[in-house]
Amino acid sequence: MAMAGKQISRWIGWVFFSDIINGLSLTLSYMFSKTVTEHYPDNEKWVPFERYRGHHFLNTDENGEVKCVGCELCAKICPCDCMEVVPYEDENGNRRPLVFNIDMARCLFCGLCEDACPADAIKLGQHYEFSSENSEALVVGRDALIASPRKAEQGGKVVKAKLTTSNGAPISEQTEDEGYDWWRNIRRS
Amino acid sequence: MVEIFVVLVMLLKLAVLVAVLLMLPIPLTWLERKIAAHIQQRPGPMRVGWHGLLQPLADGIKLLSKEDHIPDAADRFLFTLAPIITLVATLTVFVAIPFGETITVYGTEITLYLTDMNVAVMYVLAIAGIDVFGVIIGGWASNSKYAVLGALRTCAQLISYEIPMGFAVVGVVMLAQSMSLVAIVEAQSELWNIVYQPLGFVVFFIAGLAEAQRIPFDLPEAEGDLGAGYHTEYSGMRFSFFMIGEYLVLILLAALNVVLFFGGWNPLFLPLPPLIWFLLKVAFFVWLFMWFRFTFPRYRYDQLMTIGWKVLLPLSLANILISGVILS
Ligand code: SF4
Ligand code: SF4
Repeated sequence: MAMAGKQISRWIGWVFFSDIINGLSLTLSYMFSKTVTEHYPDNEKWVPFERYRGHHFLNTDENGEVKCVGCELCAKICPCDCMEVVPYEDENGNRRPLVFNIDMARCLFCGLCEDACPADAIKLGQHYEFSSENSEALVVGRDALIASPRKAEQGGKVVKAKLTTSNGAPISEQTEDEGYDWWRNIRRS
Repeated sequence: MVEIFVVLVMLLKLAVLVAVLLMLPIPLTWLERKIAAHIQQRPGPMRVGWHGLLQPLADGIKLLSKEDHIPDAADRFLFTLAPIITLVATLTVFVAIPFGETITVYGTEITLYLTDMNVAVMYVLAIAGIDVFGVIIGGWASNSKYAVLGALRTCAQLISYEIPMGFAVVGVVMLAQSMSLVAIVEAQSELWNIVYQPLGFVVFFIAGLAEAQRIPFDLPEAEGDLGAGYHTEYSGMRFSFFMIGEYLVLILLAALNVVLFFGGWNPLFLPLPPLIWFLLKVAFFVWLFMWFRFTFPRYRYDQLMTIGWKVLLPLSLANILISGVILS
């Protein structure tokens, strides 16, 4: 009896398009809910977490001296063979890199170089906007690596940004430090 | 002198109508993309103009500047003819649609419709049927398997759904005692037909969705299994003719739903001008169609045929029977 009643109510619902109306009301509620899109690169930008592996940088000590000791371990361990380190002896008798090139076009951002380094010199930072129109420009030298952005101190947030160009390539420039956790838009209670 | 004036007014109305209709797909594509986006919690086009308002123009320029490609194996004459047939057939139907009552400009009465045919309902259904020829010819002339399959599906679908659609209108014609769309609207000045003909409206609405090849009945252009259906081989401006044609059918259906079941230009609560009321209602239906599109999945082909022949057709016949019994 209960089964038959259920069946009948299902048929009545079917006749009055109850399932269709359910679907429509669901999409209607979404139509007027907040969008979750991150407005990159025009208005917003993602600052990655500290553990993010982006563009490399070379650490310097408190005197501004590059920490790298030119041991070439990073070049040896690199699975893509994309690093070139040529050491030299500087005026204090320290071993330092004369040439330190990383071919970003070949790097797979595995972070093995970071792990291998005994001097805590090479790191993978937060920078990820370095698109280029020719692959030669993606070979980054020693000085550029020293100058490139470090790891994010407070990562994992969306900050205000604006679209600009640097060296002819479009990038989104961060304009504010404060940001919000992007995931708060996604998670529905 | 008076005759010339009448003809001039007629031509002017025609020019305005065609211009507006050909421009309408521009905001409609924007609207459709925005609705799709917001249902999926995206903002949609944002970068060209304010909230992407100029995006359709950018797309139009892109389409215009694209290569106008005709496949080697295609029948060149029919291939060129097909989009034109679709577009012209759809535009022709609008001649009979009443947009509003008479307005008076400088002492002369101007009707807000081109003609008041006494067989307008027949005319609309018949001319809208010509649309199918453009599709079949386009699919056949492309000489491509996807296009032919798409055209065959379209053909079967349109012919199946024209029958319940036609029958659904019969109830309305019985109520108004006339086939003129103007008379049908005038007959609804007290109470709209939706109250007398809920079943007829449901049948007409569903069959209309199928006629316009909108989701959930968009089998003719099912991207997943057919590439793009009958216009697979079309590119550039010819493709956009089909696109414009599709949007015009959408507007046409919204207008027909309003005229036949929702009182045409008759106001509801606010005493706005009749034309405004008509446009508001049409806009609501266009929005409804788009809302449907991004809510439902596509029917399978056998389901499509089952709905058409086993559900809608008997329902539309029952509707005629019930209306007849109640009216007599
Ligand atoms: S991240 Fe990996 S691939 Fe890239 S340079 Fe370092 S070791 Fe080589
Ligand atoms: S970056 Fe580290 S591993 Fe690489 S050469 Fe310098 S000290 Fe050695």
